Amino acid sequence: MKKSIVVCPYCGTGCKLKLVVENNKVIAAEPAMGRTNEGQLCLKGYYGWDFLNDTNLLTPRLKQPMIRRTRESALEAVSWDEAIQFASDKLMAIKKQYGPDAIMTTGSARGPGNEANYVMQKFARAVIGTNNVDHCARV
Amino acid sequence: MSNAITEIQQAKCLLIFGYNAADSHPVVARHILKARANGAKIIVCDPRKIESARIADQWLPLNNGSNMALVNAIANVIIEEDLYDKAFVQNNTEGFDAFREIASHYTPESVEQVTGLKAADIRLAARTYAAASEAMILWGMGVTQYGQAVDVVRGLAGLALLTGNFGRPGVGCGPVRGQNNVQGTCDMGMLPHQFPGYQSVADDVIRDKFEKAWGVTLSGTPGYRLTEVGHKADEGICKAFYIFGEDPAQTEADLAAMRATMRKMELVIVQDIFMTQTAEFADVIFPATSWGEHEGVYSSADRGFQRFYKAVNPSGDVKPDWEIFSLLATRMGYPMSYSNTEEIWDELRALAPLYAGVTYEKMADLKSVQWPCPTEDHPGTSYLFEGNKFSTPSGKGIFIGAEWRPPLEQPDSDYPLVLSTVREVGHYSCRSMTGNCSALQTLADEPGYVQMHPDDAKALGIDDQQLVWVSSRRGKVISRANYNDRVNKGVVYMTYQWWIGACNELTIEHVDPISSTPEFKYCAVKVEHIDDQAWAENYVQTEYSSLKARLKSHVANA
Amino acid sequence: MNRFVFADPNMCIGCRTCEIACVVSHQVDGKLDGVSPEAFAPRLTLVKNVHVTTPVMCRQCDDAPCAQVCPNNAIVLEDGYVKVIQSRCIGCKTCVIACPYGAMNVVTTMVEESKGGSLFNRMAPKSQALKCDLCAHREAGPACVEVCPTSAIQLIKPETLSETSKQKREAAALNAAVASFR
Repeated sequence: MKKSIVVCPYCGTGCKLKLVVENNKVIAAEPAMGRTNEGQLCLKGYYGWDFLNDTNLLTPRLKQPMIRRTRESALEAVSWDEAIQFASDKLMAIKKQYGPDAIMTTGSARGPGNEANYVMQKFARAVIGTNNVDHCARV
Repeated sequence: MSNAITEIQQAKCLLIFGYNAADSHPVVARHILKARANGAKIIVCDPRKIESARIADQWLPLNNGSNMALVNAIANVIIEEDLYDKAFVQNNTEGFDAFREIASHYTPESVEQVTGLKAADIRLAARTYAAASEAMILWGMGVTQYGQAVDVVRGLAGLALLTGNFGRPGVGCGPVRGQNNVQGTCDMGMLPHQFPGYQSVADDVIRDKFEKAWGVTLSGTPGYRLTEVGHKADEGICKAFYIFGEDPAQTEADLAAMRATMRKMELVIVQDIFMTQTAEFADVIFPATSWGEHEGVYSSADRGFQRFYKAVNPSGDVKPDWEIFSLLATRMGYPMSYSNTEEIWDELRALAPLYAGVTYEKMADLKSVQWPCPTEDHPGTSYLFEGNKFSTPSGKGIFIGAEWRPPLEQPDSDYPLVLSTVREVGHYSCRSMTGNCSALQTLADEPGYVQMHPDDAKALGIDDQQLVWVSSRRGKVISRANYNDRVNKGVVYMTYQWWIGACNELTIEHVDPISSTPEFKYCAVKVEHIDDQAWAENYVQTEYSSLKARLKSHVANA
Repeated sequence: MNRFVFADPNMCIGCRTCEIACVVSHQVDGKLDGVSPEAFAPRLTLVKNVHVTTPVMCRQCDDAPCAQVCPNNAIVLEDGYVKVIQSRCIGCKTCVIACPYGAMNVVTTMVEESKGGSLFNRMAPKSQALKCDLCAHREAGPACVEVCPTSAIQLIKPETLSETSKQKREAAALNAAVASFR
């Protein structure tokens, strides 16, 4: 059994907690003495982690890259290499035909974290060449 | 937030405006209760009798959409009754005369009709706020999700400037951010006009710094916002939409319009952890690791950088988000590679002076560092504007006043009720995470509730817990009536994470001109009784099951 | 005097963390797995109306009406709380009627009843009278007390009551000193 320190992925309070893990499965959450939560959690902190154990209650986890070859075709599981190539070709073609500002990108205010968002906006600005970056702060 | 969440306990007065901590941030609610136990006066401005209102010294149940009128009236009292801090205003602010001029039109007596409040009550609240040695204002979506939002934020900041409530512990302004890393996405420059660290893309010197670091030429033209994407697609300007870790087909206003926008795109890329209704529109899906499966840093609502660690290994063929971007960038001809998140973090802080001193070591385990933190020996900043130095060119706090304007879509004979969207304590955002948690989905599931004053419901022949139709000019959804004595007559409230009872089918895409936030808190709807309740119950279950089955099939059949 | 769990309505924010904690505490092994709408029977219930928000639960009455009325002696005072011996419960619901706090909940499920060989097994109703048991099976004590994010829920012990009574008497004495007869 091990315990990993995490920050709750739900609201902006920034509560610290420990995920108790046994055999690569989360079995409990314990409050930790974080700066803002002072050893307290709400129901989402205490009981909002079992989606990690693939509960499949509402909607399934995405576990492999998928592409839709044409608008009419269904989603198809492919390798990472193929998915990256497919997306890269399409993005380059759109950028070439319409310019970089034809591409809109968003950040994620949820689980990915600051580093992922930093890299996303760098991707948009340095690679695509647009400042079209925004996120769901308003909802 | 200008001041730390923990400083709430040090305030002598809390002015809570359009913010329901009990449902949005239960642990912040604890700090509010502690402040009260420490003797703070609590004033709550909210149309609903929320939990804070129940324990408040004064509850001002203002009419929905009258925020600016109330804020101006409070300013009016503080100025006209000579309760403001003249020395502070004289030495540390600009724009007072213009602010005073606008506030002068808003005597409490003159706004009784618009706000639905008694002038004497507004005066009492203004006096309580102004009299406190330390007063803090907390606000939430009840301020920001209106067509007039930024003006109200500026007005509330104006109240803090009038009373000198900045630059010390236990004072200031606290917009309590909703999602866990909304503050972080802003901090990281996920904004069309700013690089990481709130540095303008239009500033040549700053752009030059980023161009040198990244080795490319960068655009100095601000991009467009998420809420503008629909129009840009209509105009044929926006052709591709790369959606990273969010579900606009659930969370944006006017979902039918959002779906139409996504259909117009030549390319939709979705990078997420769950199959969502947004992912259904994708041409490419990149599966990412989840919270718990990767490490990194989040920013709490009070500017606190905090590390989170990896707990478990993911089960599928998934990758951390930053690795996916790096692969794609490299394939597109811009080699990008990082070996871990710390390397990314160090690149970031080298480019953003506000965060320069925040090392991974300083955030280890339970530690937290609040920006600004310019150097490694700097401890971080619990409250902003120390010494009353503001982050404006002149270093002074700026008053910006505004006239009240009503919400756009007023109720009429066809759509006689107002809909305001609110939060469910046990669920978060689009619900892809909490809906997959056994206890949380047990506590609350489809189709969700429409909270109604019993008098409104009875007038429509609707019983408590009955299924009803709720419709607006943009859509129609089924929901369950909840007789609720804590809500005001004429207004109904729905929480926004349901798929079948999706209130965003109804909301209007009327945005604040500055923040572009939609008016989620105000649109006209009607609620209709359903005669055949057995049919309706069956309809909810059938629709819900088929939607879940459809999403599952995309993954299972791929 | 029995100990009991009590919530301060002036601290409660209605978040229902206590309800889930209660259900999880009474799951097999106290695990989150298997919590479902069908089996969600918390032993405390949040009441939220126009005036008040608070969970309501058993007071562990010293002279418990539920125990007095139980026709099968299934409810006893034991280990310092009012305990239901579930094997004796017949599901008659008299205790539900007797309880002045609405804190008793009779839940009947169909279980397989074994009578020798599997050929003779049948599904039979089994009732349980569910009420707060102070999480007697839990070393750390009542789960609701532990998780409440605002510390609204407390375990009241005899010494807690005598201490608050003492404080009240002292406050009353001070007031009396101000309001002299002369």
